[in-house]
Amino acid sequence: MKILALIKISLDVAEIKVDPATAQLRLEGVPEKVGNIDKNTIEAAVRLKEAAGGTLTAVCLGPASAKDSFKDVLAMGADDVTLIEDPFGGKGEPGAVVRILEAAVRKLGPFDLLMAGFASDDGYTYQVAPRLAERLGLPLVSYARQLSLEGGKLKADRDLDDAIQTVQVDLPAVVSVAEEAFPPRRTTLMDAIKAKKKPVNLWTAADPLGLSAEELAKNSRLASSSQIGIVVHRKGQVFKGQSAAVLADKLVDALVEDKILKGGA
Amino acid sequence: MSANQILVFSEKASLLRELLGKARQEADALGWQVAAVVFEGDPAAASLGSAGADLVYPVPPAAGESPERLLNALAEVARQAQPAFILMGATKVGMEAAASLAERLDAAYAPWTVRFQIDPTTCAATAQCMLFASSGMATYQFTPGLVVLTSAPGVFPKPAEVEKTARVVSLPLAQPQGRLEVLGSREKVRGATSLEDARFVVDVGQGVKQREDLALVESVASLLGGQLGCSRPVSSDRDWFPEWLGLSGKKVKPDLCLCVGVSGAVQHLVGIRDSQRIAAVNNDEGAPIFNQADYGVVADLYEFLPAFSERIRARGLRPTWTA
Ligand SMILES: Cc1cc2nc3c(=O)[nH]c(=O)nc-3n(C[C@H](O)[C@H](O)[C@H](O)COP(=O)(O)OP(=O)(O)OC[C@H]3O[C@@H](n4cnc5c(N)ncnc54)[C@H](O)[C@@H]3O)c2cc1C
Repeated sequence: MKILALIKISLDVAEIKVDPATAQLRLEGVPEKVGNIDKNTIEAAVRLKEAAGGTLTAVCLGPASAKDSFKDVLAMGADDVTLIEDPFGGKGEPGAVVRILEAAVRKLGPFDLLMAGFASDDGYTYQVAPRLAERLGLPLVSYARQLSLEGGKLKADRDLDDAIQTVQVDLPAVVSVAEEAFPPRRTTLMDAIKAKKKPVNLWTAADPLGLSAEELAKNSRLASSSQIGIVVHRKGQVFKGQSAAVLADKLVDALVEDKILKGGA
Repeated sequence: MSANQILVFSEKASLLRELLGKARQEADALGWQVAAVVFEGDPAAASLGSAGADLVYPVPPAAGESPERLLNALAEVARQAQPAFILMGATKVGMEAAASLAERLDAAYAPWTVRFQIDPTTCAATAQCMLFASSGMATYQFTPGLVVLTSAPGVFPKPAEVEKTARVVSLPLAQPQGRLEVLGSREKVRGATSLEDARFVVDVGQGVKQREDLALVESVASLLGGQLGCSRPVSSDRDWFPEWLGLSGKKVKPDLCLCVGVSGAVQHLVGIRDSQRIAAVNNDEGAPIFNQADYGVVADLYEFLPAFSERIRARGLRPTWTA
């Protein structure tokens, strides 16, 4: 069984700050790492590899500097990583990103399973797995929570908004993993030592994929785009440094003032 | 058929009506048509005219079961109806279908749309969409051509009912079996009450240490006629509640949300930021929740909550939402 797992170096969105005066998003200095969802994807893939035997290659489109970011992924059980240097520096349109990933996946040769998170930690737009499945002409098992291989078929529980649906599909197939569905395992020192010997292969879009950012950008349907941060307007009153009873009275006063609480003397 | 059509789909009836209402507004400004995709035999289909649909296109009920069959049906409808614009519900089903559909139709795509406009002369669309787990907002100006957008429940208001009957147009749709075999489905366990309608929510974070401690939180909620919500780890790791608040969870809009032991990660805030007032108790003065709250109390929740209840009782206060 050959498994490919797509992982993303994601921004820690909780660390993105918004300049209250200009509503600019401050993205510089925001920590980046293999996403939480992506680690769930690796866990799901490793479990299937353990059950069925075979290989697991993690595929990442990201900065070349991410080369050292895959220790956990390799320690968890991926055999190698293919890191494709992102010609868009993280700002590529999803349509172009998907084309690069498609080319990489095809280059890596016939596989049984292509796995990805249902969304990325930072973009959170749910589109890579469906678009890639469509481009590859493969069935997609989305939002997978339980996964098992039975008689050459993949069986999965899909975690939908109101229901859990059980489906089955022949391989090859694309699987997207549901949120928090496969908590990543703890790794041991032995795992970490073994991981050091595992390769991280660095590709570029041009070599060996024969793609260029300029060509890819020609498919764009955007005339322009811009972004701002969301500025919250809250009172921001803080009560502190007094006994619980005094603090409670202060909050109660505020809620009375707001006409949320009423009555009393 | 009509290149001047907005095609709308959601498997969720209430969301479909919201999207239709918004589509109707845009269509009226442009002199366009609004069409809805519905499942054959859906009793709600007949009344979609009242939400603004001119036409409804029924698709086989099997499309409601399998995402692959849904995609095939939507793509086939789009191929025949040739809409200029497709608006879909940002549910899990809708997000998957919309992204696949955009890829299949070679359309522009933008999810999590909160506003959009279509230029009457160029027919080019502009959309404002949530970005980075809703910490930002992007504005996309598209070149003319087919655009697919998704919008979440509650983004557009429920439309006022209009007197109108939608025409049912049955398109000849092939029904390929698909490769995905659906073996079964079971409903999820839901919270007993509908949090979305609560006037008061006590939002439980990981600062609440033990399951037994929920009694304390519960007592505050019941004193003020509220309901409990929680952060994701409290649900997904600890399994205290079946659902959580936030980006990937429920979104609430109470008069008052009281966060207890919640750090205030943006992914969580998304679920509570439509609250009229947010109050937060946290013993870490540096917790991000304090930047996002109207009232922050730096205190140990185990000391503060009993005092809070006591003061409300002692002062004979009650919330405005109880008679
Ligand atoms: C892609 C993605 C999606 C996510 N989606 C969601 C989502 O939808 N919903 C969601 O909630 N989270 C989501 N998260 C997780 C989110 O980033 C946070 O990790 C989570 O919300 C933190 O939960 P918490 O505030 O309960 O816990 P913590 O961050 O652990 O905070 C606990 C807080 O309790 C305080 N505390 C501790 N003891 C006390 C005490 N005795 N008295 C008072 N205060 C105390 C601490 O100071 C701390 O601030 C998502 C994350 C990712 C990456």
